[in-house]
Amino acid sequence: MKSIFVGALAALAAAATPVMAEYPEKEIRGIIQWGAGGSTDTVMRAVTPHAEDALGGKVVMQNMTGGVGAIAVKFASAQDADGYTLLMGAENPLLYKVMGLGETDYSSFTPINLLARGVPILVADTDAPFDTLEEMVTHVQENPGSVKFGSTGPGGLASVVVAMLQSEMELPVTSVPYDGDGPALTALQGGAIDVMPAVLGAAIEGIRAGRMKPIALIDVSPNEALPDLAPITKTYPAFETYLPWGPFFGVFVKEGTPDEVVTKLTEAYSAGVENEAFQQLMEDRGFEVMNISGAQAQDFLDKWQSVTSWLVHDAGIAKTSPEEFGIPRPE
Amino acid sequence: MPEPTKKKPGETAFALFLVGLSGFLLWQAWGIAGFEALSSPGAFPMAVTFTMLLSSGPILFRTLRVADRAPLRFFTDIAPPVILIMFAMMLGYAFLLKPLGFLPTSLAFLTLSILGLRRRGLAWSFGVSLVSLALVYLVFRIVFTVLMPQGIVPEGEILAWLGGLFSSGGAP
Amino acid sequence: MIEALQYLTIAWFDPKLLGLVALGTFAGIYVGAIPGLSVTMAVSILISFTFAWEVYPALCLMVGIYMGGVYGGSRTAILLNIPGAPSAIATALDGYPLAQKGQAGEAIGLSTVMSFVGGFIGIGVLAFAAPFVSEFALTFQPRDYMLLAILGILLVGSLSGESLLKGIFAGSLGLLIGAVGLDPLTAQERFTFGVVELWGGISFIAVMIGLFGVSEALTQLHHVDKAAIKQTVGRIVPSWGAIRKVLPLSVQTSSIGVIIGALPGTGGDIAALMAYDHAKRVTKAPEVPFGEGAQEGLVAPETANNAAVGGAFIPMLTLGIPGDAVTAIIIGALFIHGLNPGPMLMIEQPQMFWFITGALMLANVFMLIFGLTGIRLLTRIVEMPRTVLIPLILLLSIVGAYAVNNAITDVYWMLLFGAFGYLLKTYGYQLGPVILGVILSRLIDENWRRAIISDQESLGLLLRGIVTSPLSLVLLLAVLFVFFSQTPVWTGWRARRAALRASGDGI
Repeated sequence: MKSIFVGALAALAAAATPVMAEYPEKEIRGIIQWGAGGSTDTVMRAVTPHAEDALGGKVVMQNMTGGVGAIAVKFASAQDADGYTLLMGAENPLLYKVMGLGETDYSSFTPINLLARGVPILVADTDAPFDTLEEMVTHVQENPGSVKFGSTGPGGLASVVVAMLQSEMELPVTSVPYDGDGPALTALQGGAIDVMPAVLGAAIEGIRAGRMKPIALIDVSPNEALPDLAPITKTYPAFETYLPWGPFFGVFVKEGTPDEVVTKLTEAYSAGVENEAFQQLMEDRGFEVMNISGAQAQDFLDKWQSVTSWLVHDAGIAKTSPEEFGIPRPE
Repeated sequence: MPEPTKKKPGETAFALFLVGLSGFLLWQAWGIAGFEALSSPGAFPMAVTFTMLLSSGPILFRTLRVADRAPLRFFTDIAPPVILIMFAMMLGYAFLLKPLGFLPTSLAFLTLSILGLRRRGLAWSFGVSLVSLALVYLVFRIVFTVLMPQGIVPEGEILAWLGGLFSSGGAP
Repeated sequence: MIEALQYLTIAWFDPKLLGLVALGTFAGIYVGAIPGLSVTMAVSILISFTFAWEVYPALCLMVGIYMGGVYGGSRTAILLNIPGAPSAIATALDGYPLAQKGQAGEAIGLSTVMSFVGGFIGIGVLAFAAPFVSEFALTFQPRDYMLLAILGILLVGSLSGESLLKGIFAGSLGLLIGAVGLDPLTAQERFTFGVVELWGGISFIAVMIGLFGVSEALTQLHHVDKAAIKQTVGRIVPSWGAIRKVLPLSVQTSSIGVIIGALPGTGGDIAALMAYDHAKRVTKAPEVPFGEGAQEGLVAPETANNAAVGGAFIPMLTLGIPGDAVTAIIIGALFIHGLNPGPMLMIEQPQMFWFITGALMLANVFMLIFGLTGIRLLTRIVEMPRTVLIPLILLLSIVGAYAVNNAITDVYWMLLFGAFGYLLKTYGYQLGPVILGVILSRLIDENWRRAIISDQESLGLLLRGIVTSPLSLVLLLAVLFVFFSQTPVWTGWRARRAALRASGDGI
């Protein structure tokens, strides 16, 4: 009811004096935390045109890269809380505090929509002398330090997955850092690394073509994209504490943005995610669509931050203890 | 290696500055991780700044050895007033860009600099500046949607209003 | 085969697709020519713009912009000594001296035709040898990338002008600039002095615009009142004889372009500089010395950077691995259009491969057409009064630096490097090595660390790895060869020997 009223009012205002129109009365800028061509960039550029249709406004997207995304977060938090600046990001800011990358994270923002979540998977070079997780663990333990795992830097997906594994078992591997999972998976195909913890969507085409082999699905249930691969909890139930876990994409506005603007944006992005073409894209890339907002989204963020912060802390790669920031240990 | 036989004004000071810069940066690079490991984040910066120091040292030495001075003067041949003024104007432009916005600062910058260099009347300079700025704005702002700082001119609203004129009143 | 041919020519006979490739190429030339507008930027905007389109028209536009953009950078490099894009840095070295002699028209004509030749060789390799080349590119290990980058940084020797020492300083300064910011591998701060704005590092494009655009404009202020050089536009299309003379060289430089383009992580900018160096090495007796307007110096980078376009598509279309930033975005576009780029794309949807190859060929032809027309008009830019041209260049530099990452910090860096570059140039330091260093910095740093981490921090193991792998060994020998052929000991010995032989002949 309310939205019909608002819509009618907006149409009326637009017809009479466009300058006084309802939000949005000018272009909105969307700050994408990662570079052009990356998965955050692709997802945001794919969903936003659908959201624009629902919003009746234009969102100009700009990539603002650097500092593991911290520069974009800092920039967006320095703008006015008027809903004309959207932050389009991934999971990384939730680890900024413990990783020593500044005090500004998603707690200074209101989530508009958490679009989708990725499922982590372990893939290995086809020549690797192991096919399952158990075999891999045995092999690694017999040859300490000789198995090379790809990594995307401390706090990245690969480091968290390795931390998760190491919290339950002895796993002496050598981590070779890359700029992202794309370059690391390329290196895997060239034999420069042996195993890569990556997001399913990035590895799926390589697996289908037989250029790399799946070792373990880091989730609680099997995935449609790879129905034959058993989830890790089947062999190691202990991981249920941490799972389901995965990187995610979200759209945020600065805290303190007027409620009606937040509502309008939330409706727009929710409609955008529901779009069939976008759903198809997410499925093809192996992402689990979430489409959550409001308190539900906030709960997800809190749980994610708590699980991951403590994981990286216990693995010894965090710079500051989560305790300092009042991040509770997961139950 | 043929070396220039005459040195320019300010060359010694510049060479000295480069040595100082290299030394300072080497010290900074050392501070990143020290000699922690071959793969440490500080290894490459240390190698690079060390090379800077190794090359800037001999450069300073050679410059000092050259006795002949070229018949030039710093403030007429190296940094004449026109260059200093232009650079100062660019600095001013860059600092005012954010508070005042892209359109007014650019127009002022273009008009003033063309006027100063050309000395051909305010109206002419203003006209040329206006046309060029319109072109730049069209390409960067409209076609490539680069959002330049808006400042005091509410261009976002104006564009939205213009857009509203073209689209049939219904869609805001 | 018949089928492949059919897919290849889809865009050729469809007036709409044909028009879109033409439009894209035309726009690309200007995107490339303006420093600060990049092909990467244009293509990512196109993703939202062509969102609701079919996949073919969208690809036509992107392919056109890519091809035109890589070529367009040479225009401003030749006319104004300001490379419009990183891949045109080497073009300015000999292109601008030609413009100063009043031969801008000829220089553009030659660079256009040779870009076309390079582009064609690149596309040819893509069409006939893509799977082979991409498997080869995959075999490059971190240590090979490291050696390749070291080979690249040794180009300082041929870019440093009068003083090798100053060249070495300039090169290491560039390497240092590239290292500023959060370390991409460990997120450790490097040279950031606690300033968050520096975490992202110093934008490479901002440095380039400052070093070339602003410092060149400042230099030209010295003779602002002097009349502009009159351009004599006589022959634009080079004679067959002129082309035949550089054809062998262009085949070699194009091969460099394809390989460097196909390697993930290296692109047209590095290819063009390496090709320039190669040309300088193999051209024994250029008619005009390098750096003063040698045709070979113009041909080499222009063939290489356009050949790199075809090269960049090789891993993208065969394996779904981007060859450079632009192909990375095109992969994203394919995803959005419901395709799944990866190793299966060529098997499941071979029409995409042939369609893109066909569109590239078309874009290459349009590049030739648009490149050769309107040169007369273009050379007028150089003849514009400097009093108007210089303020405009300065304005574009500021806008361009801002546009890269929408940050005012980049504008300050650009100005700083403008002033610093002006001083460097005045005191006999070349700017080429600085930008070379910035381009190669991360490549060397990251791959060195990957290589040494992979070998468990042992130099001995790393060395053993290098000498036991044929590829690494070849690269190592190339590095050693280039290094020793440039050091004073060796060149001195050669000079002595030559003198000895000359005196021997005398007797």
